[in-house]
Amino acid sequence: MVSAERATVEASNLVFAWPGQETVLNIDELAVAAGERVFLSGPSGSGKSTLLGLIGGVLTPRSGTLEVLGQPLHELRASDRDRLRADEIGFIFQQFNLLPFLDVVTNVSLACRFSDRRRDRALAQSSSEEAEATRLLHHLGIDSELLMRPVTQLSIGQQQRVAAARALIGSPGLLIADEPTSALDSGLRAQFIELLVAECESAGTALLFVSHDLSLRTQFDRSIRLTDINRTKGTDG
Amino acid sequence: MGSAATVLMLARESLANRRATAILTILSIAISSALLLGVERIRTETRSGFMSTVSGTDLIVGARSGDINLLLYSVFRIGSPTNNITWQSYQEIAGQPVVDWSIPISLGDSHRGFRVMGTNTDYFRYYRYKRSRMLTFAEGQAFEAVFDTVLGADVAEELGYRLGEQIVIAHGAGATSFIQHDDKPFTVVGILDRTGTPIDRTVHVGLEGIEAIHADWNEGGRAPGQSLSAEEVLELDLQPEAITAFLLGLKSRVATFGLQRKINEYPQEPLMAIIPGVTLQQLWQLIRGVEVALLAISLCVVIAGLIGMLSAILTSLGERRREMAILRAIGARPWHILALMTSEGALLAVIGVSLGIALVTGLSFLTAGWLKQRFGIFLPVQWPGPIEWLFAGLVLAAALLVSLWPAWRAYRNALADGLSVRI
Ligand SMILES: Nc1ncnc2c1ncn2[C@@H]1O[C@H](COP(=O)(O)OP(=O)(O)O)[C@@H](O)[C@H]1O
Ligand SMILES: [Mg+2]
Repeated sequence: MVSAERATVEASNLVFAWPGQETVLNIDELAVAAGERVFLSGPSGSGKSTLLGLIGGVLTPRSGTLEVLGQPLHELRASDRDRLRADEIGFIFQQFNLLPFLDVVTNVSLACRFSDRRRDRALAQSSSEEAEATRLLHHLGIDSELLMRPVTQLSIGQQQRVAAARALIGSPGLLIADEPTSALDSGLRAQFIELLVAECESAGTALLFVSHDLSLRTQFDRSIRLTDINRTKGTDG
Repeated sequence: MGSAATVLMLARESLANRRATAILTILSIAISSALLLGVERIRTETRSGFMSTVSGTDLIVGARSGDINLLLYSVFRIGSPTNNITWQSYQEIAGQPVVDWSIPISLGDSHRGFRVMGTNTDYFRYYRYKRSRMLTFAEGQAFEAVFDTVLGADVAEELGYRLGEQIVIAHGAGATSFIQHDDKPFTVVGILDRTGTPIDRTVHVGLEGIEAIHADWNEGGRAPGQSLSAEEVLELDLQPEAITAFLLGLKSRVATFGLQRKINEYPQEPLMAIIPGVTLQQLWQLIRGVEVALLAISLCVVIAGLIGMLSAILTSLGERRREMAILRAIGARPWHILALMTSEGALLAVIGVSLGIALVTGLSFLTAGWLKQRFGIFLPVQWPGPIEWLFAGLVLAAALLVSLWPAWRAYRNALADGLSVRI
């Protein structure tokens, strides 16, 4: 378990540019406390996804420091960043979160297959990875009869909830959601966020939620506009 | 489940999801490797089959013609003799002190498509095949009377003959010979055990039998108004005047070359002696070009199969960038992506090559009888030999090597895309 007193994300003077492009991110200061639920907004192209990629350890900062769950990502080797992501970070994307060739339960339990820690924590909750996946899916409102269907036959709302279950299995320290509701009908958005927030709360998982729908931010502890903390301007927004 | 097992599971499920392409790819690998293995199998098996048929014989003697021709007609029942040898020459050479045994051979007749060979009982005593195996009888014994016959295993089986059955021998070697020696039938007195050599497809009779059915013939046709009954024929002197060829076993191998030279320079008539192993080598030399061409063609087919696999995997790569990003997001390392793509290639290749081995084994089982009947080639039905395993292994290795390319591309993409694939 992540110690509760340690900050989930701490970045300072974080600079990043895609190869051959101008700097997209130049962030003075960014902090997410343990278990905190943060809403991140910003126009399209402003670098929100890029920032999430940095925090997720898939991208490496040009300069500056970035600590995630106590690990100095800017100093770690790629393999150690991959390990941290596998162990402690769950992702939900805007769309196409699931592997079309796996069933619903395997899509969820797959997150335990690349991390012993997540598997151990899943097994602390339930008798097997599959049982834990099913438990989470039920909490997120996926009925048992849906578990048998190929994931391609689920609605987008259902797919996003399956993706949420996968991000949550094994209680990671941080859940990163990159515009997970923008493909949903507005009626479903609030419901999805409620479920997500409730599950993060019960698992003690911090939530970094990106959306440009500002009406959603009421559900969060805190709201950040990327353009406020980023010293460069977005390229096409 | 360890991450390696997970990668294999993902590869399997992902292939199963693209079943149609996967099956086609597997089939193309299976067929191409079956072709390669089949060509190799026929090549090695015909060689060892031919070799084992003549393994006990030191020299084959016949009228002077081509070495290979003599070898083919005398022991493999392929092609036909050009000329005869006189009985006198045979006696003289067979009587040489270095000669241990001799087997006379008289060819030219047939029974329902099977060749008839006239010989004497020394054949059953001295002939050796597959290194040192003797001919043995499944039923009955060697011929004694003039109109006795001993059948090879296939002859008896395919024609359903039992001991005591009467058979009629036809003139000429064709299956549909019209001139039958039907007034002088032969009685089946023995059936040989299976040998896996052309002996299985031979009808054996005594030299006197051959002489007897031709007694009232001359110049290859029935002499008009001169027909003799079977009883009348037995009164005649049935000592043959000529035979087609004979096999020699020597007391010591050392004498082989000396005797061969002597026979080749035989003053009374133009004779030729060949050493079976040497002539077989000449035969292989002759068909070597064809073999190499066949192997080259089947190698090209294998390469085409591998290119098919490569294009199938490469095509899938674009639509699967998203999958790779998902895997990266849940903690898969770049090497997992590399391993995933390589094991997809490996799975396709392993299944394909295994299917190819099964195919070639099944096919050799199905066609063994036909090859034997049609071409006199004896293909034993057996597991792949060491060379075939080597070939199968090479195809596999090549498939792995080939699938490294799309794997590497997927790996590079996964690193460049990060988590944000824009589609
Ligand atoms: N994989 C990538 N390769 C190169 N450039 C990229 C990549 N992803 C994003 N970018 C660029 O980075 C900038 C920020 O994009 P992004 O982080 O996706 O913004 P947002 O998520 O806020 O819409 C854009 O100019 C975009 O073109
Ligand atoms: Mg984005």
